[in-house]
Amino acid sequence: MTFAWILRRARRQSVSARRALLAVAGLFLALGMVCGASVLGLRATRGWMSTVGQSVHVIAFLRDETEPDQASQLVDLLRRRPGVARVRLVEPAEALARLRDAARPLPTTGSWLDDLEPGYFPRSIEVALVASADLPQRAAELSRRLRGLAGVAGVDAMTEGVARLAAWVRFGQRLGWAVVLATGIAALSSLVGTVLRGRAARRRQAQVLAILGETAGNIRLPANIALAAAGLTGALAALLVLRLAWPALLTAVERTLSIVPTPAGFSLGFWESAVGLLAAAMIGWVLGYLSTPVRGLVDG
Amino acid sequence: MIWLEGVSYLRAGGPALVDVTLGVSGGELVVVHGPTGSGKSSLLAVAAGVRAPDSGAVWIAEHNIAGLQESSLPYVRRNVGYLPPEPLLIPDETILENIMLALAVRGEPIDSAEADARETLAMVADSAWENRLATSLSTGQQRLVALARALVGTPPLVVVDEPASGMGADEREGIARALVWARDRGCAVLCATSDLSFVQLLVDAGGRRVDLEDGRIAGAPAIGLVPDPVCLSDMTSDAQPENADSAEVIRISDRRSSGEGSS
Repeated sequence: MTFAWILRRARRQSVSARRALLAVAGLFLALGMVCGASVLGLRATRGWMSTVGQSVHVIAFLRDETEPDQASQLVDLLRRRPGVARVRLVEPAEALARLRDAARPLPTTGSWLDDLEPGYFPRSIEVALVASADLPQRAAELSRRLRGLAGVAGVDAMTEGVARLAAWVRFGQRLGWAVVLATGIAALSSLVGTVLRGRAARRRQAQVLAILGETAGNIRLPANIALAAAGLTGALAALLVLRLAWPALLTAVERTLSIVPTPAGFSLGFWESAVGLLAAAMIGWVLGYLSTPVRGLVDG
Repeated sequence: MIWLEGVSYLRAGGPALVDVTLGVSGGELVVVHGPTGSGKSSLLAVAAGVRAPDSGAVWIAEHNIAGLQESSLPYVRRNVGYLPPEPLLIPDETILENIMLALAVRGEPIDSAEADARETLAMVADSAWENRLATSLSTGQQRLVALARALVGTPPLVVVDEPASGMGADEREGIARALVWARDRGCAVLCATSDLSFVQLLVDAGGRRVDLEDGRIAGAPAIGLVPDPVCLSDMTSDAQPENADSAEVIRISDRRSSGEGSS
């Protein structure tokens, strides 16, 4: 059979088995969405980590007796230090307001919040450092120096909190991968099941071709092409949906979690997309191989 | 064109063919007659390269296909127009596409394949069927389409099993004409049937009759191998044919089995 004939057979098979092929393309769409979303989700959580980790690194709580002028001088002093990106003086009233904002969504919050007064909160200085690989070490060094200053009651090196957050994110990522793996296996199983269910129907066609003298390879080839095309179509649709829907979804999640929006990870890169499309086409090709029986068709 | 030499074939219930030697040359029509279970279908399946014999040789165009690997047999089958006992068609394809498949396998260009398929369909059946699906035809009509597929492109060897089964008189005459048409174009035509009137139709048209009984050719030569079909024809002329007017009928008893001479 020439290539023109094989293409013709693939086209005719696609028309006659369009429902099964649509189902296969739909499953590839689901599989592509799961895989693409997991890559983008991973990238987004890394972006959040980076954002959260670099917002505030050290908080110095001032003694009650520290005068406002003294606090301002300390802020100026910190701003002049190399490696410091941002310094901010937080007054007790602002600290109380932040606590109330943070606690409002919690169901256990009662009227006790209303009884709090700004005087319960110390004045504090929040320091953000310039991002670099040795950020935790620099934050620890700054904390040590601040503890030695007069007027500073205590220092919280937030890098410890970031480390805890990182641990949670890592756990979340592992959980995410497990979900992705389970979903991927389920989608692949459905794909194989859909293809194998059509195997009996394709047996007659394969039998006719075998008796007419077609080779096993050419008997399979039209199904290989049709299913690879279905895989490619599903994967392309998944890419398109992710490109259109992911930014909106990510923005909504970030807004809900009050996370500073990150521009990174809005869409898959060229090579990521190319590898995904190639993988889908290859899986489709293999499914085409499974879909057509070629043994025992004639008593050779 | 085809030469089966001492072919034996076993099936589940016992031997289907026993030491069968038979030849069909290009431009010859041989009709194998025998009752149900006599081994006709097995003989034709072996001749078409669909089943491998348990012993013996099947020579097609000077190659013994009995010794070929399974992967090589498709290249033999595509040169054989084979009509199996059940008309195997692809149900969700049109009649024209079903016939064209035989030419597709041989690598003929699509346009000329379409023209050839139309021509053969018109000759064997009805050209109005070309766009109908195979499932919309009766079994008899499907058999005609499968016959058209076996004849399209005039392959060197045509092997047809019960082509006239369940057909009316007009259709049987049409089938006989189609087989003669293939023979006249140089094909070696091997046809099997249990229908004596159809045998007579083919014999009247110049076909050679061979009778098969219990997997053996009735009147097969006792010893030695017949070198080619021409010699086989020569031997039959010395025997006493039943239909001596137009047919060459092989009626030499199997001395090996009966221990007697010619009948």
